[in-house]
Amino acid sequence: MAPSKPEGLTVRTYQVGFGDCFLLTFLYPRSERHVLIDFGSTGKPKDVGSRLLDRVAADIKQRCGGKLHAVVATHRHKDHIGGFATRKKGDGPGDIIASCSPEVVIQPWTEHPDAKPDARTAVADRTRLQAFVGALDDMQRVAEHARDQASSIKGVTKTVRHQLAFLGDDNVSNRSAVDNLMTMAKRCHYVHFGSRSGLEGLLPGVKVHVLGPPTLEQYEGIRSQRARDEGEFWHLHARAATPSPSSRRSTGKLFPKAATAGNPAYARWFRDRVRTARGESLLELVRILDRALNNTSVILLFEVGGRRLLFPGDAQIENWEYALEHARNRAALKRKLANVDFYKVGHHGSLNATPKSMWRAFTKRSTDEDADRMRSVVSTMGKKHGSETRGTEVPRRKLVAALKAETDYFTTQDLRGNKLSEVFEYELSTRRRGTKTE
Amino acid sequence: MTAIPRTRRLTAIAQDPAVMHHGGILMAEVEIPAEDLAPGPRGHRVHVIDYDASDDTLYAPRQDRLDEDPYRGVTDATRLLSDPGFHAQNVYAIIMATLSRIERALGRRAKWGFGGGGHQIKVAPHAFADANAFYSRRDEALMFGYFPGSHGTVFSCLSHDVVAHETTHAILDGLRPRFMEPSSPDQAAFHEGFADVVALLSVFGLEEVVDVALGGGDGAGALVSKNEVTVERLRDSTLLGLAEQMGDEVGAVRGHALRESAWLEPSKKYLGEPEYQLPHRRGEVFVAAMMNAFLEVWTRRLEPLFAGNTEHADRSRVVEEGAAAASHLLTMAVRALDYTPPVDLQFGDFLSAALTADTEAFPDDKRYGYREALRRTFASYGITPSPRDHDGDGLWDPPTEEMDYRRTHFSAMQRDTEEVFRFVWENRKRLVLDEMAYTYVHSVRPCTRVDVDGVTLREAVGEYVQILDVRASELRGVGLRRPDGMPADTTVRLYGGGALVFDEYGRLKYHVGSGVRSGLQNQRLQYLWDSGFCSSDRRQALSLSQLHRMRATGTSMGPSKEGW
Repeated sequence: MAPSKPEGLTVRTYQVGFGDCFLLTFLYPRSERHVLIDFGSTGKPKDVGSRLLDRVAADIKQRCGGKLHAVVATHRHKDHIGGFATRKKGDGPGDIIASCSPEVVIQPWTEHPDAKPDARTAVADRTRLQAFVGALDDMQRVAEHARDQASSIKGVTKTVRHQLAFLGDDNVSNRSAVDNLMTMAKRCHYVHFGSRSGLEGLLPGVKVHVLGPPTLEQYEGIRSQRARDEGEFWHLHARAATPSPSSRRSTGKLFPKAATAGNPAYARWFRDRVRTARGESLLELVRILDRALNNTSVILLFEVGGRRLLFPGDAQIENWEYALEHARNRAALKRKLANVDFYKVGHHGSLNATPKSMWRAFTKRSTDEDADRMRSVVSTMGKKHGSETRGTEVPRRKLVAALKAETDYFTTQDLRGNKLSEVFEYELSTRRRGTKTE
Repeated sequence: MTAIPRTRRLTAIAQDPAVMHHGGILMAEVEIPAEDLAPGPRGHRVHVIDYDASDDTLYAPRQDRLDEDPYRGVTDATRLLSDPGFHAQNVYAIIMATLSRIERALGRRAKWGFGGGGHQIKVAPHAFADANAFYSRRDEALMFGYFPGSHGTVFSCLSHDVVAHETTHAILDGLRPRFMEPSSPDQAAFHEGFADVVALLSVFGLEEVVDVALGGGDGAGALVSKNEVTVERLRDSTLLGLAEQMGDEVGAVRGHALRESAWLEPSKKYLGEPEYQLPHRRGEVFVAAMMNAFLEVWTRRLEPLFAGNTEHADRSRVVEEGAAAASHLLTMAVRALDYTPPVDLQFGDFLSAALTADTEAFPDDKRYGYREALRRTFASYGITPSPRDHDGDGLWDPPTEEMDYRRTHFSAMQRDTEEVFRFVWENRKRLVLDEMAYTYVHSVRPCTRVDVDGVTLREAVGEYVQILDVRASELRGVGLRRPDGMPADTTVRLYGGGALVFDEYGRLKYHVGSGVRSGLQNQRLQYLWDSGFCSSDRRQALSLSQLHRMRATGTSMGPSKEGW
């Protein structure tokens, strides 16, 4: 007989450096059900030891007793899906997760195979949907170019170089992870704002709302996207980034026959300026595509035993905007959001992923540390993303200060040495909760 | 003794390499000031340095016979596209043409916007392999990228409107540096919109382009029929016609300015819609209003050609009138700048400035109705004259109080910022300045504007700026409203200032602007607070490179009220 409702819940956050990895375990009277939300990393603290993702995967397998019921991959960034990568020998972290034979893999609608444009369809002939999804692939090629340029690009500051490498790397395509996600489960389910979550039937007594990402049609209600122009834009950039063998790159200079001039005095100051501008311009492009990919994030709100848990992936304000400002049922959604008990802090604590209006509306904030106030958990790593001088550091100081002051705050930065995870427990029958580090 | 030539003509691409004519690229000869060039070309205002950061290569400039034009009559695409020497000449010619066109309208020299008093803007025609082109104040430069298109490399430096657009950003920044500051949706949109207007009207000021856009060229008749030159038909044939011919891929640099604005049907609703709060979209509304005014004036200028029962007119006359209409509107738009407030510009301010400046130069508007056309088309897009005008005629009002000139000197007031500051300070009560604020005079210049009839208008124009930093808790004390939710310790920067227009006798004719405590500040503060610009570490000036990126990708990257 199927269990009627869970009596307890644990949320385990893993040490993955800069990335996300959460294991939700729903405790039914006679069984457990496990949902893994994201598994990836783009940077690890020095003291965590080697093969971190392998160890995390093994731990997940052990915790779930070799059976995952669902895997959610919020979006295609490496720091969210890199852990699903497999190895030829079959011993990669993604192989371990696949061996837990999840029933379903849940991803945003942008990953649906039918949305992918046929490579033979000219950019100008693509449908709006194909243009949009095609652009996401093109963005990843641009990111690869940026990452490859980062080490050799001249005249840029250390910060720019570091950001190019970091953002470039996070945005490149993770072929083996993507393939694994497509094939590891019995079924794939693609979600959008307001759609079924794909968890129906798997988690009795749990309601799961999909709050993002909006579809292209839902987006268009907000602003008229020029998807084709934008598709063209990214396609051009992708082509510039990955030259064909017949292009000029294989033959050398832009103007092979023109006379060149070495490095005369009159040009030196300016040469450095152009180099710097080029690096910054490339970084701007990477920031735009990074944000665009973040905004394809799945946002899930779990309701169970009177508790509400919010997992927004890396969704930024533009993704949230539909649910909060434009959706027909936005008033009801806002009421649900107001009572969130557990908040997985969006996008590793960046400045644009926790909409202030939503934060202000959280009713379970409190400066009283003894109160049954909301919990916030941020999976992050400092000095990887953004810069303090621009006010874009991740995690953002101001946000962290607010979270610390008014919630039970936890950051994976506090998992030191061989501590692999922190677990948050909820007894759903008694409404008690607890924490332990493992 | 032979007279030294004042101008010279240089060959440049009329629009971009995609606009073809007789099997070659449509070329134009642009008239620019003659000067003794050094290799680069390097003249007194422009220095082309052909450094490519993607290839780490500096192309050597042409060394000899710099007073000649080796590309005259050349239209062969392969030759022109593969010769960096031609690209250097092309950018030099278009930048100089744009600069001298703007200076002619202003009746004076226009400084570049970078500090340190540099006179020569550096130009990289092949700066990097990237679909981007921008003016950078920090780098004292215009940088043009290139990228592979479907039919070979696309060079942004060969697109007339891209080069004129970036040049205009650089000149506008010299005239009104504070227009890059965050202030209002209009001000953020204005830089981009104005640069588009100058670029497009410059292109339509070339008879070669108007002719081709009008369907001229191979097989076209020498006559144009009356029903081909209505506003609607001209929009379809000329604006959209040219937009269609323009290189599609060069749009990746900053979107398709002409196409987007020509398609924008008049509506008063745009400016209130969320989509048009984005600077690049809002700028298109401004461009659409100007381009519609251009079509209206052009058709009006054609009326005499079709007087009586005449059904056809000479094509060359129709073309000539189109180029003349574009040219006059360009002059109007540029002259307006001296009459705009130096901070916190609204589109309505620009309209009032344009109407006032044009009235000063051409008191009689009856013949072609330029001002009426401008009022009408701006109104059709919801832009009405500035609320700073009090008597309702849409023009700036003369100062209500007589200024005190007793301690200032006429001749020094024409050029010396110290002297103008003395005037401003002596008259601070009459000009309603804030004594607490930091105040400086940005510039003062005499100008000589000649109208079509040869009548000369002499003025001196200057502008001062005031800056006052206060905490949010002090706003009420200076008579302003603190936006809801703004923490008391937030530092808020208030800008004030005015444009000063002196007549030929040195008397103040117009004072256009507002004080740091003006009621207009409430609106601005609310906007800055709502858009997240009040945070001290996010108070950044507009980056044109970033703006072009947002425009091309249709995204918004600025701060948000929802951000931290």
